Amino acid sequence: MKTRIPILKLNEVLIVSIQWELDDQTAIQFQEDLLNKMHETSALGVVIDLTPIDFIDSFIAKVLGDVINMTGLMGAKVVITGIQPAVAITLIELGIRLNNVMTALDLENGLDKLTKELEA
Amino acid sequence: MNKLMVESINEYMDEIIERWTTRMKEEKGERFFHFMPDHLVDKTSREFAELMTSNIRETSSIDSDKINEFTEKIVRFGWAIKFVNKAIDNFSNVVFELLEEKDVITDENLRRFIVLFSSWINPLRESIIDAYSTEWERTVSLQKIALQELSASLIPVFEKISVMPLVGTIDTERAKLIMENLLEGVVSQRAEVVLLDITGVPVVDTMVAHHIIQAADAVRLVGAKCMLVGIRPEIAQTIVALGINLNEFTTKSTLQRGMQAALGMTNREIVEVNGQ
Amino acid sequence: MNLGSSVEIITEWDIVAARQLGRNEAKQVGFGTVDQARITTAISELARNIYLYAGKGKIEIERISEAGLVGIKIIASDEGPGIPDLRKVMEDGFTTSGGLGAGMPGVKRLMDEFKVISEVGEGTTIITTKWLH
Repeated sequence: MKTRIPILKLNEVLIVSIQWELDDQTAIQFQEDLLNKMHETSALGVVIDLTPIDFIDSFIAKVLGDVINMTGLMGAKVVITGIQPAVAITLIELGIRLNNVMTALDLENGLDKLTKELEA
Repeated sequence: MNKLMVESINEYMDEIIERWTTRMKEEKGERFFHFMPDHLVDKTSREFAELMTSNIRETSSIDSDKINEFTEKIVRFGWAIKFVNKAIDNFSNVVFELLEEKDVITDENLRRFIVLFSSWINPLRESIIDAYSTEWERTVSLQKIALQELSASLIPVFEKISVMPLVGTIDTERAKLIMENLLEGVVSQRAEVVLLDITGVPVVDTMVAHHIIQAADAVRLVGAKCMLVGIRPEIAQTIVALGINLNEFTTKSTLQRGMQAALGMTNREIVEVNGQ
Repeated sequence: MNLGSSVEIITEWDIVAARQLGRNEAKQVGFGTVDQARITTAISELARNIYLYAGKGKIEIERISEAGLVGIKIIASDEGPGIPDLRKVMEDGFTTSGGLGAGMPGVKRLMDEFKVISEVGEGTTIITTKWLH
């Protein structure tokens, strides 16, 4: 059983909305798909929206962190949006700080932030 | 026998109360009576005496409603449990001595009176202490709730800017509540910058600083920025002395300065307009 | 009163099953969204440890009540290699699997009570509790 997370392209930006709980396989598949898509489209930025996600454990956090680092290596910027308060609190209590990540309240804010960042 | 005791106590009630009050006032380190106005001392003493004699007839059992009512009052007066215990002791001693003086208690019936006294005083003491501790626990838990209600609400000030004033000591339980309120507030108010005002926090030790850093981190994760304002000189001193690293987030001495910075971060500023 | 259920952890998918069960139980006990996330995350971490280090094991989830409090108790048990140095495992940042090392101390922070019983060669049991305040 393999579910794939859809990745949309809007101008120079890729938009990903994660709509359901990630299992390990889907998370790893997503990592691969995103990097391939970036290569194909030479996108300059990625927005990953996590609004519907109600929990993130250390494994998924690691996959996300890796995605962000890899994307950075490929010369693009990532903004994570819509992290729920409960998710933020559990991540912090787990000791996962996701230090080098840009964040925004929602997709709209995230796109704004990314556009500004790309213009600068 | 029992009837004799009841009648004697009722007869000498005024004297018993007077002696008891005097004795309570003489108690070493006692300050509860000195702070109360005389008429209140008199009234409370009478109520206490009434309570003490309420179960004296063998047929009458302890009136728990009366005990609860009375203990509620003395907890409010701030009587310590030690003082209450002493009051019961003194009352029983005064009654015993008086009955001895009046020859109600004689050498022959002494033993029976001792039994009578202990079956009178002991259950009463138990009930009063029990009611007292229940009332005390209730007071403490009410205060705890009151303290939690006092905890931290996030106030939207401008579009994209909210402020949370923190007042009082921050322990782990409160820190969790503050964090939840803060994050829920940021998301629902769509705040991009939040100012945490610690003017009203008396002490910032390593633990409090740790909680503040965690809160700021979590705020960053949901997509906003956290600024610490209201840092008094002595707080700045302790933070540095303890080696707490707050370099990662913006700090300002006052809420006013923080607000200016927050407006700057959201590309706005306050301009004066000329009248006329 | 002990209402409980359990999930055998053998494949990666069982991790998902365990945390879903935990989330449902937490919801039914009456935990708020933040505590639901804490409990779900803790179960996910414990189940993953079983999957990574012991190969197989079991997650049991019980509803408990004691002295007027209700809560949820999670028991993670396996017959794996055991933990040679418990103190080291409880240090922040310690990892042998290349994960983020949030594992055990992280779970301890998410929950109210936390206990590890482990014997090298025999296996590991972790019991952790969260009370509804």
